[in-house]
Amino acid sequence: MHQEAWNEELQALREEALESLRLSVDEASLEAWRVRYFGKKSQLTAWSRQLGGMDPEERRAVGQQLNAVREVLESGYKGQLEEVRAQAIRHQLAAETLDVTLPGRARRVGTLHPTTRTIEEIEAVFLALGFTIAEGMEVETDEYNFEMLNVPKDHPARDMQDTFYLTDELLLRTHTSPMQVRVMKQIGPNQPLKVIVPGRVYRRDEDDATHSHAFAQIEGLVVGEGVRMSDLKGTLEAFAKALFGQQQSIRLRPSFFPFTEPSVEVDVRCIQCQGTGCRVCKDTGWIEILGAGMVHPHVLEAAGYDARRFSGFAFGMGPERVAMLKYGIPDIRLLYQNDLRFLTQFRRVLS
Amino acid sequence: MRLSYKWLSEFVDLTGVSPEELATRLTAAGLAVDSVEPRNHGVSGVVVGHVLTCERHPNADKLNVCTVDVGGAEALQIVCGAENVAAGVKVPVALVGSRLPGDVQIGKAKLRGVASEGMLCSARELGLETRWLPAHRTNGLFLLPQTAPIGRNVVELLDLDDVVLDVDLTPNRSDCLSLRGFAYEVAALLGRENQFDAVAKSQTSELSSAGPLKIHLETDACSVYAGQVMDATHKSESPLWMQMRLLASGVRPIDCLVDVTNYVMLEWGQPLHAFDADCIEEETIIVRSAAAEEVLVTLDGQTRILDETMTVIADPTKALGLAGVMGGQNSEITSTTRRIVLESAAFHAGNTRRTGQRLGLHSEAQQRFERGVDMAAILPALQRATDLLVSLAGAERDGGPVVVGAMDGNTLSRSIAFSPARCNRLLGANIEPAEMRSIFHRLGFTLTGHDTAGEWSVMVPTRRMDLQIQEDLVEEIGRIHGLDSIPSTLPELWISKEAVHLDHRLRSATRHALAWQGMNEVFTYAFVSEGAANALLLPDHSPLAHPIPLMRPMSEERSHLRTHLLPSLAEVALHNLSHGAAGGQIFEIAHVYLADSLPLLQRPSEPWMLGCLWFGSTPESFSERPRLYDFYDAKGVVESWLTSLGFDQLQFRPADESWLHPGRSAQVLAKGVCLGSFGQLHPLVMRSLRLPHALYGHFDLDKLAAHLPEHRLVSPLPKYPQSRRDVAIIVPEEISAEELLKAAEDAVHARRGEVALRAEVFDVYTGKGVPAGHRSIAMALTLSAEDRTLTEDEIQASVDGVVESLAEKYGAILRGQDSGHASRME
Ligand SMILES: [Zn+2]
Repeated sequence: MHQEAWNEELQALREEALESLRLSVDEASLEAWRVRYFGKKSQLTAWSRQLGGMDPEERRAVGQQLNAVREVLESGYKGQLEEVRAQAIRHQLAAETLDVTLPGRARRVGTLHPTTRTIEEIEAVFLALGFTIAEGMEVETDEYNFEMLNVPKDHPARDMQDTFYLTDELLLRTHTSPMQVRVMKQIGPNQPLKVIVPGRVYRRDEDDATHSHAFAQIEGLVVGEGVRMSDLKGTLEAFAKALFGQQQSIRLRPSFFPFTEPSVEVDVRCIQCQGTGCRVCKDTGWIEILGAGMVHPHVLEAAGYDARRFSGFAFGMGPERVAMLKYGIPDIRLLYQNDLRFLTQFRRVLS
Repeated sequence: MRLSYKWLSEFVDLTGVSPEELATRLTAAGLAVDSVEPRNHGVSGVVVGHVLTCERHPNADKLNVCTVDVGGAEALQIVCGAENVAAGVKVPVALVGSRLPGDVQIGKAKLRGVASEGMLCSARELGLETRWLPAHRTNGLFLLPQTAPIGRNVVELLDLDDVVLDVDLTPNRSDCLSLRGFAYEVAALLGRENQFDAVAKSQTSELSSAGPLKIHLETDACSVYAGQVMDATHKSESPLWMQMRLLASGVRPIDCLVDVTNYVMLEWGQPLHAFDADCIEEETIIVRSAAAEEVLVTLDGQTRILDETMTVIADPTKALGLAGVMGGQNSEITSTTRRIVLESAAFHAGNTRRTGQRLGLHSEAQQRFERGVDMAAILPALQRATDLLVSLAGAERDGGPVVVGAMDGNTLSRSIAFSPARCNRLLGANIEPAEMRSIFHRLGFTLTGHDTAGEWSVMVPTRRMDLQIQEDLVEEIGRIHGLDSIPSTLPELWISKEAVHLDHRLRSATRHALAWQGMNEVFTYAFVSEGAANALLLPDHSPLAHPIPLMRPMSEERSHLRTHLLPSLAEVALHNLSHGAAGGQIFEIAHVYLADSLPLLQRPSEPWMLGCLWFGSTPESFSERPRLYDFYDAKGVVESWLTSLGFDQLQFRPADESWLHPGRSAQVLAKGVCLGSFGQLHPLVMRSLRLPHALYGHFDLDKLAAHLPEHRLVSPLPKYPQSRRDVAIIVPEEISAEELLKAAEDAVHARRGEVALRAEVFDVYTGKGVPAGHRSIAMALTLSAEDRTLTEDEIQASVDGVVESLAEKYGAILRGQDSGHASRME
């Protein structure tokens, strides 16, 4: 063949192959195309073999043309292959859709009781302040629950805490304060200590929105040489800030507990109105959250401490009351009713 | 204590201090004011009127047409429907244009055709404290005394411009159960002097010679007894001003005699009692212990059986009253009484309290005695009451008061050592000693001894019985000075070895582990009914069957301490099932209370228990159909939780707890120690608890804490790949999975010690192809060696060994074998 003839044949092949390539829109037809135009039995292969029988000049000229056509077809093939693959992915993605709004299959997480959450939160604050945690038994003796705390029999202060007795001497503790003496006896005498005591306590109160015959309490006790009332204030201020926010402040009001002297009640700025006055705080801007005071010398002595050298402060708070304030729980009985629609509102792990 | 602002202002100058300001100051000083309430709820323009005429209304049977003189030029015509209206009475008249509580404005009106120029008022319409007024003063018009000046503003006449502070007193402040006590307090707070002398002197009587009364104290329960005999007391009303002060203080006006004793009690804090002197034999009062089973009919008409711990006021023949608690009917003042004995005494606080509690009585007088009365007030209070009865009720003294017992107030006041430096050290404050001295002075305490050495001697008067030691005085300084001035400091940091005990951490970890498995924590009450645990089919010898009773329970449902958490959790499940829940998973960690013996001799044991309850069905979800919770749900939770605590190689054996289904429950053992049990509830237990379907888990956390595994070092990772082969074998169904796996592992270990095998169940099948009484168990066998990669031949030999061994032991038949997943690294 003449060069012109070669040229014509090659161009014809090129056109035909490119047209066929354009119509190959999936990987299978592309593979068939590749075999047809580049395979062992393809025209291009056959022609390449013929190059050997040509004179050098012709071989060079035809070879060049042959290569040019091959390159065009190869690059066309690659481009088409890429396009087809991309197209296939696009189709796959378009076809594979979910309703992402349907609920996930993960195991549903349960909940800690709001009282537990609050107790753990309070414990964490005091642990960070260097306190340790102790626990006591709920059935106490009259001696530890009252007498060693400076409340003799027939003392009117017993009216403050109407008591469930089991026998004349055994009772359900009305507060966690008996642990003051027990902890001092355990660690002392005359050893410094910083401890909190969480636990359940019992009083003969009719259950209503704010009273419960059973409730949780956390006692705190710090005893050492030179412990001052200002330490009490600083500690409880740190607690209030940690629990209710750094903007919090506290207020001490003189009060009476037989086992502390001086005794105070501690208020925090109303969480609801930030102190401007609302129904929750009865328009005072303050909410009472705990009772506290300097440990009465009689209590220190009952526990075997030297009351001239050692002083201390104690406080007691109701974590349920804290939880009610913090989460806006209107009725303490909700905490004992255990309705799952209520409990499952406490899924959030961070407090 | 309801405190009248106007009455208080008689004893201390309150100029410039509003009731609200006073309330704030008192609250800040530890006398918490609960409310500040004006007595006037909106009365204005109401005056005293004199009804001149009263005629039947021409068109209405129940109405009267009155002409009323209100001090104006002409009498007013007013229509009135009250039954007690009559010509001649004096009444409050709301004039046209006046206002009454409830935003009522009075205008001209026409009632059934007759014009009415105002309204005659009842106690309720004036907003008076009707709950403390007798019925005859609240029915109809509030009649005023004839001495009331016509035209006088009723707000002034009835002290409606007074304001009442309701103070919530702490039990130590018995001194503030009186106006005079409050006056000291307020004077100290305001830095003003009180004005007792002006009030007291003007009414103090001259002491005449002692009266005819003879008094014998035969018990320690009375330290001082004073009596005054008086003649001719007749029943009449006390003056209006006194009634208004009583009303403001929340005390019911009754008659002049009773009102005077109450008035003086409010003023001085000293309870007084009056006996009919003619009922007292030989004019002799004996204070003695009651005889056992002595009988006394008290003023309330109740027959009381007394005992020797109680103290009575008696004459030589009979008891006349319960000391400090209530008088007796046999010496009650009546309309025929001609002579009275007025009593003012100090009865023992604890004794009075005990007597009141035993008899279920609680009076204002008793409340004061049980907190301790002021010795120094006994005689002045008696004199004050005597004076008032003379001037208001026309009574006459029969001699002076007779006093027996230790009386001298000065010898009873206490001297307490006080160091200003120690006070500042305890408060962490910096209060000037001069300021401290001033506070003591204002409180009426005197300083004696040398105060230069930094040690003072503070004389505390008898009214402050609550002050005993230096710290009490520190509190006085702190609260009067103001606690706001105390700075905030932190105590020295000292760190202990174990901040949180293991058992506490174990409970916390358990709560979190269970919550992460979908369980919801609950808090239930420790008190249950006596029969709460009956549902659990407990044998009688079980300590769980014998709950500890409360001595005075509040209700039958909450009368005993629980021995088991299941009944409480069942209650929670029932609540939720009846409120729309289809099921749930709940748990509680709490004490149960187990007595060594009943009646209780020592503190019971209080183990920390974990109770888990799965009830009803799993939550509905589009990817999983709801189904009843089953044994494996419970087991999955229990296993995950115990594994998270470090327990491994747990063993599960059939449980034998009475409340569990014997075939569908297990006890969990770790190294042979039973940690607890779980499983489906016994059908009879479910029926008793009214639960449709439930599983229960029961664990003693104290025991768990005692057997918690030690921390372990990590095992080295395998160096050579592991190979997995799956085999399915058919075995009789009574062969447990645990047994089968252990036999497989033992088989390889016995034959080829250097090859390690771990066997796990991944499928259990019964049905087609498996003979009855058998099941097919598919096991994944993971094989490895420490020193090389196992060859195909070695692996096959091991698997064959397992199959042969199981065939030998249990007649197991190989159902299929698979190369499983290609070797996997773990
Ligand atoms: Zn507020």
